[in-house]
Amino acid sequence: MKLVIKNLKKSFGDRVILKDINFEFEKGKIYGLLGRNGAGKTTLFNCLNEDLLIDEGTFYLEENNQKKKATDIGYVLSTPNVPEFLTAREFLEFFVTINKEKIKSLKTIDEYFDLVKISKNDQDKLLKDYSHGMKNKIQMLVNIIASPEILLLDEPLTSFDVVVAEEMKELLKSIKKDHILIFSTHIMELALDLCDEIVILNHQTLTKIDSKNLTEKEFKQKIIDDLKEEK
Amino acid sequence: MKQTFITSYKLKNTYRVNSIIYSIKQLPILKKYLSDSLYSNEGLKILANVISVFIEIIKTFLFKFLYIAIVIFGLSQVYDNPQALNFLHIFVFFTFIGAILNTFMFNPSKDKYYALVLMRMDAKSYTLTNYCYSLIQTFLGFLPFCIIFGLLAKLPLLITFSLPFFVIFSKVIFSAYTLIDFKKTKIAKNENLPSKIFWVIILILIVLALGLPYLKVTINLEIYLILFILLGFLAIKSLQIIKTFPFYKQMYKQLLNPQNVYVMSNANNVETIKQNVNKQIEFDASISSSKKGYAFFHELFIKRHRKILGKTIKKQMIYISIISIIGIIVTLTIPKTHKSINNIMMSSLPYFVFIMYLINRGQSITQAMFINCDHAMLSYKFYREPRVVLGIFKQRLKTLIGLNILPAFIIGITLVLLLYLSGGTNNILNYFVLFFSTICLSIFFSVHYLVMYYLLQPYNINTEIKSSTYKIVQFMTYFICYYMIELKLPTLYFGACAVIFCLLYSLISLIIIYRLAPKTFKIRL
Repeated sequence: MKLVIKNLKKSFGDRVILKDINFEFEKGKIYGLLGRNGAGKTTLFNCLNEDLLIDEGTFYLEENNQKKKATDIGYVLSTPNVPEFLTAREFLEFFVTINKEKIKSLKTIDEYFDLVKISKNDQDKLLKDYSHGMKNKIQMLVNIIASPEILLLDEPLTSFDVVVAEEMKELLKSIKKDHILIFSTHIMELALDLCDEIVILNHQTLTKIDSKNLTEKEFKQKIIDDLKEEK
Repeated sequence: MKQTFITSYKLKNTYRVNSIIYSIKQLPILKKYLSDSLYSNEGLKILANVISVFIEIIKTFLFKFLYIAIVIFGLSQVYDNPQALNFLHIFVFFTFIGAILNTFMFNPSKDKYYALVLMRMDAKSYTLTNYCYSLIQTFLGFLPFCIIFGLLAKLPLLITFSLPFFVIFSKVIFSAYTLIDFKKTKIAKNENLPSKIFWVIILILIVLALGLPYLKVTINLEIYLILFILLGFLAIKSLQIIKTFPFYKQMYKQLLNPQNVYVMSNANNVETIKQNVNKQIEFDASISSSKKGYAFFHELFIKRHRKILGKTIKKQMIYISIISIIGIIVTLTIPKTHKSINNIMMSSLPYFVFIMYLINRGQSITQAMFINCDHAMLSYKFYREPRVVLGIFKQRLKTLIGLNILPAFIIGITLVLLLYLSGGTNNILNYFVLFFSTICLSIFFSVHYLVMYYLLQPYNINTEIKSSTYKIVQFMTYFICYYMIELKLPTLYFGACAVIFCLLYSLISLIIIYRLAPKTFKIRL
């Protein structure tokens, strides 16, 4: 299965953000999406998640030459969005009930808590009293439970402490075989460490950076050169 | 000093102009043809500047006109004493209240926040120059209407001319007093959140302003002149205090915290807004829900927001019941009132449209729904699926109607009782119409607010209202309801029409919701 984006265009007024995006993201890989500030990474995600209408082009899922609409998308935002009036347990209960038919291997709520190591004390606290990083954990967890075909992650690891960040990385690696994972970040080391492919959003288009025959240092330099390059 | 004032004025004007352009850009239809370069478009900037100047003029004159014409002049006609003395009396006491509640200096406004906190302008010269400007504005705004309405109330010309000075004196003295107080206590006063003592003082001033004339006691010209001279001297001293006060910077550091600024206006500080609305969430570990799915989700939302939902409605019901009982007792004990009450019941039903509009809590409830719930949930794709949007919509509609209908029920019963007790009617249908139209109006407003929220979803990610269509609809709703106050129509016909309209409106809008809400209900990016 792969996510195919064809000739996608998006502008705000006169400002072109994405111009002719053509790319294929394959299942089983984590893609690191790198781009400078304001390059349009979030806009691209918003388009794929249908928060924004695209101006032109299309995107779809393709498997064995069969095309289908890419609607099964999970999106983890950099600022965690959770319903603050619920406890973590209530939110998970609600989420699981609503999505029961879609969730493939349904576990108990406690098992889900264990998956991201949320302690007993915190499980029945209102989400409004959670720290930024904890909220982010819940947001990530919900998306992992839903197990969408495509998972978009917008700077998700920056708010975690080193231990949790490491746990989350492992978690993402463990689920990648069943998903198309696109991971946007500013931090190159993180991208190189976690991702299988590096994709750059520059000059309103997406380009894959080939690491073949390059040492890590040369690869890094190439990425920076590509990002710097003015047209 | 002059430079500081010019800079701060330019700053204020720039964001005012930009927000005008922003609003123009948000207008439906028009927005498609307008681009981002709008903010640098000279022609449009001039237009926005003209509007900005216009707003400034309206602020200077219109409110003063309304205040003097309606509050002072209007009230001065109520009492039996010579109108000139009533006018003077009410003016003096209300001026004292204004001096406390409207200081400019202790108002944590957005202008000050931008200039002093974000732009780090010099606090002293900023305050002094802008304070002077606001005093001049106040003076100029008051002058013409004090003279016109003062003369109409038969006050001597010289006295009418002195009234704006009286206002300035009072304001300056109170500001100086507050500054001295800050020096002592190190606590900055926020004019929008007066302490309990000040509320008591304000209440006493209102009683003195409106109560004494009723007892035929008013200030006379001699007392006014003595007061005027006294305040004049104090004002000169106060100006010196204001001019030499060394701690403006420290004072505004305290006053201009984002939370204060938010209380006054919607500052763009997401965190503060969230904090404020978050406070409405109450958590009691024993409260949970045995329901499932949408009903579970919705029930917990309602239970954790009792402060703004159930409790407010309960309060409303208590107040309405008290008023109803008073109304019924009056009707029972004073037969003289029967004719007019019967008249009101038979022809002033439109007036109750406005009442129903006022008591409906739809607007604040939908706001809480967004900030504490949908703001976060709408970023999840499953939450925007048609079945989920409509499932939760249904739950919400039920609650909203259910909550708002309770006070409406009491009003309906009261109206029927009042009609019966004040002599009744030949046509028994009137009773039914009176009752059902009140109920229908309540349902109508509940549906209306929720439908508008779902169809126009006016909030952006920063929880600011960014839809001018929504604002226009809000305004139109208010305007139409307000217009109804004046309307006198036979209850039977108006009520029947109202019932039919409300039912049709609800039906049609629900059909539209089922078609469109899944598309329209999303965060504005």
